Formats: sequence, C-alpha cells, structure tokens
Amino acid sequence: MAAIANFDIYSEHSQLRRPLAWSLGLHLAFATFVVLYATFIQGFRGQGWGTGGTGDAMGATLVSAVPLPANPTESTNVLATESRGLAKSEPSVQEKEPEAIPIPDKNTKTRLKPAPVKSATQRKPQPETFESNQIPYGEGGPVNGPYTMTAGGAKGGFGFTGSGGDFGSQFGWYVQAVQRKVTENWLKYEVDPRIAEAKRVYLTFDIARDGHPSNIEIEQSSGVPSLDQSAVRALQRIDTFGPSPPDYSGSKVSVEFWFDYKR
Amino acid sequence: MPNSARPIRQRAMIAVILLLLLATASSAQDWIRTGTGLGVERVRLAASDFKPSTPDANNVNLLKTFNDTLWNDLDNAGIFDLVSKSFYPLQVPGQPSEVNFSAWNSPPPNTSMLAFGNLGAAAGKVTVQGWLYDVKNEKSPQVLGKQYTDNATTDAVRVIAHRFADEIIFRLGGGVPGIAESKIYFVSERTGHKEIWMMDYDGANQQQITHTGSISLSPRISPDGSRLAFSSIDKGGWEIMMYSFDLNRMVSFPRFGGMNLSPSWSPEGKIAFSSSRNSYPNIFVVDPSGGNLKRLTTGQGPDVSPTWNRKTGSQIAFVSGRTGLPQIYTMEADGTNLQRVTDQGYAVSPNWSPNGQFLTFSWERKYGPGEPGSNDLYLMDIASKQWVQLTHDAGRNDFPCWSPDGRHIVFQSHRSGSDQIWTMLADGTNVKQLTFKGGNTQPNWSWR
Repeated sequence: MAAIANFDIYSEHSQLRRPLAWSLGLHLAFATFVVLYATFIQGFRGQGWGTGGTGDAMGATLVSAVPLPANPTESTNVLATESRGLAKSEPSVQEKEPEAIPIPDKNTKTRLKPAPVKSATQRKPQPETFESNQIPYGEGGPVNGPYTMTAGGAKGGFGFTGSGGDFGSQFGWYVQAVQRKVTENWLKYEVDPRIAEAKRVYLTFDIARDGHPSNIEIEQSSGVPSLDQSAVRALQRIDTFGPSPPDYSGSKVSVEFWFDYKR
Repeated sequence: MPNSARPIRQRAMIAVILLLLLATASSAQDWIRTGTGLGVERVRLAASDFKPSTPDANNVNLLKTFNDTLWNDLDNAGIFDLVSKSFYPLQVPGQPSEVNFSAWNSPPPNTSMLAFGNLGAAAGKVTVQGWLYDVKNEKSPQVLGKQYTDNATTDAVRVIAHRFADEIIFRLGGGVPGIAESKIYFVSERTGHKEIWMMDYDGANQQQITHTGSISLSPRISPDGSRLAFSSIDKGGWEIMMYSFDLNRMVSFPRFGGMNLSPSWSPEGKIAFSSSRNSYPNIFVVDPSGGNLKRLTTGQGPDVSPTWNRKTGSQIAFVSGRTGLPQIYTMEADGTNLQRVTDQGYAVSPNWSPNGQFLTFSWERKYGPGEPGSNDLYLMDIASKQWVQLTHDAGRNDFPCWSPDGRHIVFQSHRSGSDQIWTMLADGTNVKQLTFKGGNTQPNWSWR
C-alpha cells in the first residue's frame, strides 16, 4: 500500500513536469522576444546615439551665442500660457478609511475622536498666510505683487519688487539688460540633444553694485542635469551686468531667473 | 487618523520659517524675477537731434558733426533698434523739462529710450548736455545725465559724441564698454610703400604711423595701447619692430635672426611670434622687453600667426602647415596640449575673441583647382568646435580681428575690387566699408 501511495505521488509529479517545462520555455521565449524587440526594433525606431542634430556643425544656435542681441524671438505671453499659474493646487481629497469595528473595551469612550476631514468644497476659505509664496510645482512666473512693467508696450522682461523696494519699476532698463545678457550667454546646444522639452529650471544669484554676479545657485532643478548645467554656465560666463544704476542705494540685487527649454 | 492633523502643523511651521526668511531677505535687498522666453529684443532707442543752447554761429557745424557722430555710433553698436528720425514728434526736447512722454512712448516713435540734449558754443568753448531717458517709465525716467566741456572744434565735438554714445552703450548693453573711442591699425600702401596706419573705429581720422620706406606688416597694438609691434623687412631680414605711442617714435627691440613674423600680444603683455632662427619657422614667446625668449613649438612647421586667448592669456592658437595645407591649432601657453581645430581646406589668420569663447579665422574649406568657394570668414566655438560661416560670396576675406566689445569684427576683403578694410557685426550682418584709398590690409583693433 505504502509503495503504491508513494508511486502515485511520484506519477503526479512526473505529470506536472512537462507542462512546467512548456511554461518555462514559453516564458523564456517571450522574455527573449521582449528584450530583442526593445533593443533592436524599438531601438532603431527611436533616435540613436549621436544622431541628435549636433552632428551637423552648422548649428544655428551658434549665432545667437555670439554676444549680440538675438533676433527677436516670439515671446511667451505670461498671461496666456497653459500653466495654471498662480492657481492654488487642489488639495487631494483624502479617502476616508473604513471604520473599523470597535472592539468593546473600557478605553473606547475616552479615546480622542479625530477631527473630521473636510473635503475641498466644504473647506472654508482660509486666510492666505503661507500659500501666498508657494508656487505650483513646475510652474511659477510672476507671483502676486505689483506687476511692474516699465510700460504697457514693453515686451522684454519685467522687473519685480520684493517687499524691500521697487527696483523693477524704477530700473526696468537694468532688468531688461540682465535678461538680455543671460539669454545671450545661454548656449542651448550644451543641453543633451535627446531632450526635447523640459521643466523650467530656476536659478538665483546676486548682482553686486559693480555688476558682478555671485552666489549662483539652482533653486529648482529641471530634472535634466545638462540643462541645469547649461543654465549655471550661462551665468558663469558673464563677468558683469554693468554697474547698478547710480540712483540705486542698495548694495546688491537678487535675481531669480528661469530658463525654459524647448528644442 | 492622527496623521491628518500633522501635515498642517508641519506646513504651518514651514510657512512661519519661510515667512521669517522672506522677511529678512526682502528687507536686505531687492529682487528681480525674470527668465528666458520673454522676448529678447533690441532696445528701441530714439536719438533726437541735439538743440543749440547758445546763439553762436559756430553751433550749426558743431551740431551737425555731433548729431551725425552720435547717430552712427549708436547705429554701429549693434544692440539698438534705432527709431527713424522721420517718426519723431515735431518738437524735440533739449532739456528734461521739455520731454513729452506720451509723444515718444506711443506710436509712431514707440520708443523705450530717448537720448536728447543740447550743445552750445561760447567764447571758443563748447558745452554739451546729454540725457538718456526711459520714456516708458514716467516716474523716474532718467537713466543717464552727462555734461561735457571742451574747445569748440569739430574734432573735440566728435570725441564728446563718442563718449556720450559709449556711456549709453555701456548702460544699456549690460556693462560692456562701447567701442566708439577705439582705434584700428592697418597696413596701407597708398604712399607707395606698405606702412602702418591708424584710424578711428568708424574709418575717420586716418593717419600714417611708420615711415620705414620698406615693407611693414601685421601691426599689433599692445593691450594698454602704448606700443605697436609689427614685422618689417630691412637689410638684416624680417624682424619684429616696436613703435611707442608714448614717445611717438620707434623703440629698440632685439633682433632674433632668421625670419621673424606675426607678433601677437598676450593680455599680460608678452609677445608670441613666428621665428625661423632655428632653421624652421616655429612659435616663440618673449617678454615685452625682448628678453626671456622661449620656444613653444618644434618640428618642421611652418608655424605662424599665433594669437592669444585674450581673456585668459593661457592658450595660443596658431597656423601650422605640418600636415600640408595650413590648418589652425591650439595649445597651452607653455606649448602643451596641442590640438588641431580645423579638419580640411586652407585655414589661416586666427583671432581670439575677447571673451575667450570663439576663434574667428579665414578658411577656404574646399581648397584646390576646380573647387568652388574662396576665402571666407568663419567663427568657431572653441569648446564644442562648432562653426558658422560669417561671409558669403564676397571675394577673398582675410585677417579678421575682434573689436574690444566682442560684438564686431574688422577684416580685409576684396569684394569691392581691391583690398580694403571692412567691419561687420560678429554674426556677419551690418557690413560696412571703412577704407577706400589705395590698398589697405591686415587690420588690428585696439584692446579698448
């Protein structure tokens, strides 16, 4: 009996072996197919290494890299972008966890009841204490504050007042000079040619009275290292923005500068 | 469940910290927030004719010179979109009180900047008052206000106009000094001999410097503008010569023997040149006094036309024929790290840009019989070795040299039928002829 029972068990095992082998084989075949497809077929379809357009040395970017005013480029109207801009981020609606069945216990009654979570629509308008200086992730641009274009018709750039002064409104021409100079010194071909579009990268730096930039820092990375690098290099290339306006009394101006990259 | 309350508390704390930081930061200095893609355009600038401020008869001539010079300087600067004078209001201001903002900052002139002022001669002296106004900013419009006094001559008025233009360019051009007072040195054969001449950057005031009576070539002005090195032939052969503008005469410089050509100043004042004193033309470096001679390249060369990286002074570009046709190479100032930057054709006359980023040179990319094209000027980014062509279909172009502001290039071109000096913006636009008389070659722009 025992021998027969044992035999039964073994025969069951041997019956499974063949389907298992099939299964394994097919899995392996499928995996091989996926790998081959990804490396060869898909690889050829996409852009290969070194074919990213910089091979042709007639880079039109180079001319704009000459420290000359670039040709007028189409400007992004800050008022009509697709960005949500200053709109406050919608808070994620928290799902209520199913109530656990209360275990009858003495302590149940004394336990503190958690505050009920209000949904976004129910939430009362809160006084804007800290959200006023928050910028939606990946967006930004002018935060609320006086919009100090030098005048209605001026397109190029705008100054911005912190609460400390009104540099932008008084010295709009200096803000424009800064903007022009950084843009001229930003060599887009330094960015990885495979990147077609990237998030904004934000830099901050200080301009001393003699016009020398310092404390160049990446405030918010674009997630593309070569783009961040090219932005920092643009600033490092600049010796001076020219001395601060003579009427300006401060010792330095701080600048937040963003770079929009699109191939 | 209790973690629903925690983020709010955390956020509140962060907010308080941020607010504190912001308060301290904003009380300390002003902020500018700006970025790319906002439309980088040239500054729209109107330069109204200056008005006479005294009833002197001489004013008419002086004003014409002044207004023409100022307009040309601003036009040549390459950073302005000058508003045509036909768009200006009938009443142009001569004083700040006379500025009618709405007439200027809306169409037709629609300018953002306005240069204006007055000029008056009295008792042999002339006084010029000039202002630059940001007319789109009526609250605090003044960007610049200047007053100049000098003798009432057209030459003096020209200099005043140059100075005022340079001030405007310096303010609005991001701190790069203007070039209106810079000079260009060149070789001219209009006297029958090839001698060194100089002129203003706009071609005015051409005057002869050397009177060697032989052949003088490749003038190179020193960074401080006090000395001029050039190569000249005399009975001993080709030697480096030195002219002093402090003494207004030739000063002695060592003779090295062999053929000595194409001197070039480093920012620190050292001189690199090509010498065949060791049988083959190689690049040598020597102190400004002529001492401490060092050889940088070896081999049969020939190596000629060195040019220093004008920003760092730590690299030298030169032309070498070691592989056959002349090509451009770079090396460190001690002769190491030799690299070839051109890959084909016939490349000569390198010149390094003031910011150290670019080389400009003359290149015939397809050299040989039956090949199309001729010598054209090219610009190469040293770091990436990418290049662009600056001149097209316009005769032989050679000897490019950068302006001190890095926005212009002066060069020699045969496009008018004879070799003459021309300038253009560094992107190849705005080409202008400076010389017309005789044959004029090998221009060299002063360092400031």
